[in-house]
Amino acid sequence: MTALTTPARPKRDAGLPPVPWRRMAWVTWRQHRAALAGVAVFLGALAVYLWLTGLQIHHSYAIACHPASSLDCTINFTGRYGITAIVVSMVLQAVPALIGAFAGAPVLARELETGTFRYAWTQGIGRWRWTLGKLVPLAVTVAAAAGAFSALFSWYNQPFLAAGYVMPFSTRVFDLRGVAFVAWTLAAFAIGALAGMLIRRVVPAIAATLAVYAGLAFATTLYLREHYMTPLLTSKLSLPGSAWIVSQWYARGGKFAFPNHGPQIVNALSRYCPGTSNVPAAQCLSRHGYTQWTSYQPGSRFWPFQWIEGGWLLALSVLLIAATVWLVRRRAA
Amino acid sequence: MNMNVIEASGLGKRYGGTWALSECTLAIPAGHVAALVGPNGAGKTTLLNLAVGLAEPTAGGVTVLGGLPPGSPAALDGIAFVAQDMPVYKNLSAADMLHLTRNLNRHFDQPYARARLAELGIPLNRKAGKLSGGQQAQLALTVALARRPRLLVLDEPVAMLDPVARHDFMATVLTAAADDGVSVVLSSHVLAELERVADYLILLSRGRVQVAGEVDDLLASHRLLTGPAAEADRYSERPVVHVRRGEAQAHLLVRAAADDPVPPGWEAHPVGLEELTLAYLREPGAAALPGPGRDRTLPFETGQPSEVTR
Amino acid sequence: MDIDKGTGEGQAGVSPAGAGGGDRSTAPSGQAAAASPIEFRLDAASGVPTYLQLVHQVEHALRLGYLKPGDQLPKVRDVVASLAINPNTVLKAYRDLEVKGLAAGRPGQGTFVQATLSQVALPELTALRRSLSGWLAAADGAGLDEDGMVALFTSALRDFYEHRSGARTRGGAAGGETEGVA
Repeated sequence: MTALTTPARPKRDAGLPPVPWRRMAWVTWRQHRAALAGVAVFLGALAVYLWLTGLQIHHSYAIACHPASSLDCTINFTGRYGITAIVVSMVLQAVPALIGAFAGAPVLARELETGTFRYAWTQGIGRWRWTLGKLVPLAVTVAAAAGAFSALFSWYNQPFLAAGYVMPFSTRVFDLRGVAFVAWTLAAFAIGALAGMLIRRVVPAIAATLAVYAGLAFATTLYLREHYMTPLLTSKLSLPGSAWIVSQWYARGGKFAFPNHGPQIVNALSRYCPGTSNVPAAQCLSRHGYTQWTSYQPGSRFWPFQWIEGGWLLALSVLLIAATVWLVRRRAA
Repeated sequence: MNMNVIEASGLGKRYGGTWALSECTLAIPAGHVAALVGPNGAGKTTLLNLAVGLAEPTAGGVTVLGGLPPGSPAALDGIAFVAQDMPVYKNLSAADMLHLTRNLNRHFDQPYARARLAELGIPLNRKAGKLSGGQQAQLALTVALARRPRLLVLDEPVAMLDPVARHDFMATVLTAAADDGVSVVLSSHVLAELERVADYLILLSRGRVQVAGEVDDLLASHRLLTGPAAEADRYSERPVVHVRRGEAQAHLLVRAAADDPVPPGWEAHPVGLEELTLAYLREPGAAALPGPGRDRTLPFETGQPSEVTR
Repeated sequence: MDIDKGTGEGQAGVSPAGAGGGDRSTAPSGQAAAASPIEFRLDAASGVPTYLQLVHQVEHALRLGYLKPGDQLPKVRDVVASLAINPNTVLKAYRDLEVKGLAAGRPGQGTFVQATLSQVALPELTALRRSLSGWLAAADGAGLDEDGMVALFTSALRDFYEHRSGARTRGGAAGGETEGVA
C-alpha cells in the first residue's frame, strides 16, 4: 500500500518550547471581555452613585458637624443620611459575591457545558496553561477593580466614621473597606472558578458560588472575625466608643456569675437595682460585689484585623485556584 | 512513514461501574484514512478521547504519533481534534476563531485558513452561531487543518450534516490527506460511505475491538459462499463468520482468500465493506485482527453463529 | 455488443469535461491549464469497488476516443476533492492502469496515458458478433431469460479471467467483476 506523501517537517521532539503566555492574554481578553465589561458597568454605576451622594454627604458634614456631637450634626447630617448609609452598605455586601459568581463561575462552566473544552483543551498550549492563563489575569483585574471601588467607598463612608455614626469594626462596613473588600472579591472569584469546574454548568455554578460565599461571609462575620486576636479584658465600666465588645459578663468573688444578657441578669437587677438602665446597672451591681468584665477588641486593631482577614482570604483564593488548575489537569470529560 | 499514529495496548476505560472500552489493542499506521466504526455506545468516542488526551485510561495504555503520550505538548501539537457537534464558540466570528487558534498553537497557517474560508464563502465577521451547520463544521475543520497536524481525529463528523455539507466536508478532509499526508482517524456509525473513504477499518463492538486492518486486506481475506442450505452446517473448510439462510439456500461469510477452492455446488463472491461490517457486528464473538494466528479457526464453532431466516 | 448495459462494468460515465469544470477543487483556479480531458464520476450504489470504477472509466474513455496517448489523467487531489474518495483509491486505480500498460506516472507531473486498448479489427468484431448472436439464440431456445443469460455469461467471463490472470494483481480478482446473482 503506497503511503501518502509527507512534506518535510522539522523534527518535533518532546522538549517543545511552551506557547508564550502573552498569546493567552489575547484569548482571555477576547473570550471574557463581555464579562469584564459587565463588571465594569456594574461597579461603574455604583461608583457614580457613591460619588454623587458622597459629595452631598461630605458637604453636609462640613456644614453641620462641627463639633461632631452637636445637635445640628445629629439632625442635619446623621438624621438625613444615616438611613441611606445603612442601606447602601447592606446592598454593597452583595457586590463581591455577584462579581465572583458572574465573572468566575462561567470561565470553566461554560466551556464544559457547551463542549468547547474539547476544542480548547486539545490545542497546542495545553489545558493547565490555558486555565491558569485565564484565571490569573481575570482574578487580578477583578481585584484591581474591587480595590478602586473600595477606596471610593472609604471616602464615602469617612464622614459617618468621623461623626461616630458607624464604628470601624461594624459588620456593615468592615468588609467594604481596607483590603477586605478586595480579598472577599478575590475569594468569591476563586470559589466561582472552582464551582464552575466541579459543577460544569453555568447557572448551577453561579448559584452554588453565591451560596458558598454567603455561608463563608456569615461564618466569618458572626464567629471567626472576633477571634483573629485574643480579645483584651477589662473591668473598667466605660470603654471608648470605637471598641468592639465581644462579650460582657459579671463575676463575684473572682468567679463567673452570669453573662450580660439573659434571665440571670434580669433577676439580679430586679433584686438589687430595680428600674435602672444598663450603665448605671453595672455601677449598681458593682456596689453589691459584682464586677463587670468586658472582653473587647480595641479600635486600634482595625488594620491588623484587615490584614489578617485579607491574608487568609488571599491564601484561600490561591488555594482554590490551584485546586481548580489541578482538577483541570487531572480530570476531563 | 512507518510509525503508528495511534497505538493502544490493553486499553480500557471505566466510567462508574461500566467499562466503556476494554482490552483494546490496536495499531493504526500512518498515511491512512482509518474509520472507527461501531454501533452507538460501542466506545468510539471513548477511544478517541483517550487518544487526544481528553480522558485518562483506567487500564492499559495508549500512545500517539509514534510513541508520544496523549496530551503531551508534542502530541497536542501534532494532533487536531474535531469533536462531535463541531464545537465552535458561538459568539465569536470566524475571524476570531482563526485568531484564537493561532494564539493557542505553535504553528498556524493563517493564509491557508483565510483562503479556505473565502473559497467556502464563509463570512469572516459573522458570529459562528449564525452560520449554518455545514459552515460551522467547515470552520471547525479549517482551523484544525490550518494547524498543519500530522493526525486529524474526527468524532462522528458528518452525523448532523445534510448530504451536500457532508460531501464537502469529507472532500476537504480527503484533500488534506492527499495534499499534506495528514493521517485521518474518523469515527462513524454510518456504513454506506465507508468504502469510498476509508482504507483502514477498526470495528468496535461493546467496548472491544472486533476487527482491525487494512480494508484491502479485509476484503481480500473474506468471501461470501452461496450454496445449498442443507450443506451449510457441514461446511468447515474455512472459518465462518456469519450465516444467512433461507429454506433452500444459505450464504456463508467465510474467511478465505480469493484463490481458495470453492466446494462443488457452491458459488463464491467477493464481499463489500458494508456487508462485511454488518456481518461482524451481528456476530459479537467473531474477530478479525491482524497478527499471527489470523488464519486460525476462530474460537467459536462453525455452524453456531446466529442465523437470519429470510 | 453494448458494454454500457453490462451489469458488472462501471458505468460509462465519462464526459469530455472542460478544464476542471464543476469540481469543487480547493486549488486556486489558476490550475485550469493542467486539466485532464476526462472527469470521473462515482456510482456509489453500483456495488463495484471505487478503484475499479475509475479504471473502467479510463478504459471506456480510451475506447471512445475521449483519451488519447499523452493525455493527462486527472490529478489525484482533484479527483479526491470532487468525489470525496480516499486518495489511496485513486493511486490504486492509476497503479492498476500502469500494470495494464495503459498509463504511466511522471514524477512531479502526474499520470499520463501511455497506450490505447488493443483494437480489434472490424472483420473480427463482425465475426464475434455473429457467433454471439448464435449463442443468444441457443440460450433463448433453452429457456434462459435475459437475466439468466447475463448471469451465465458473467460467471463464465469471471472464470475465464481467473484462470488466465491467477494472482497477477493482488485483490484484482477478488475485487473483480461482481455478479448479478439473486
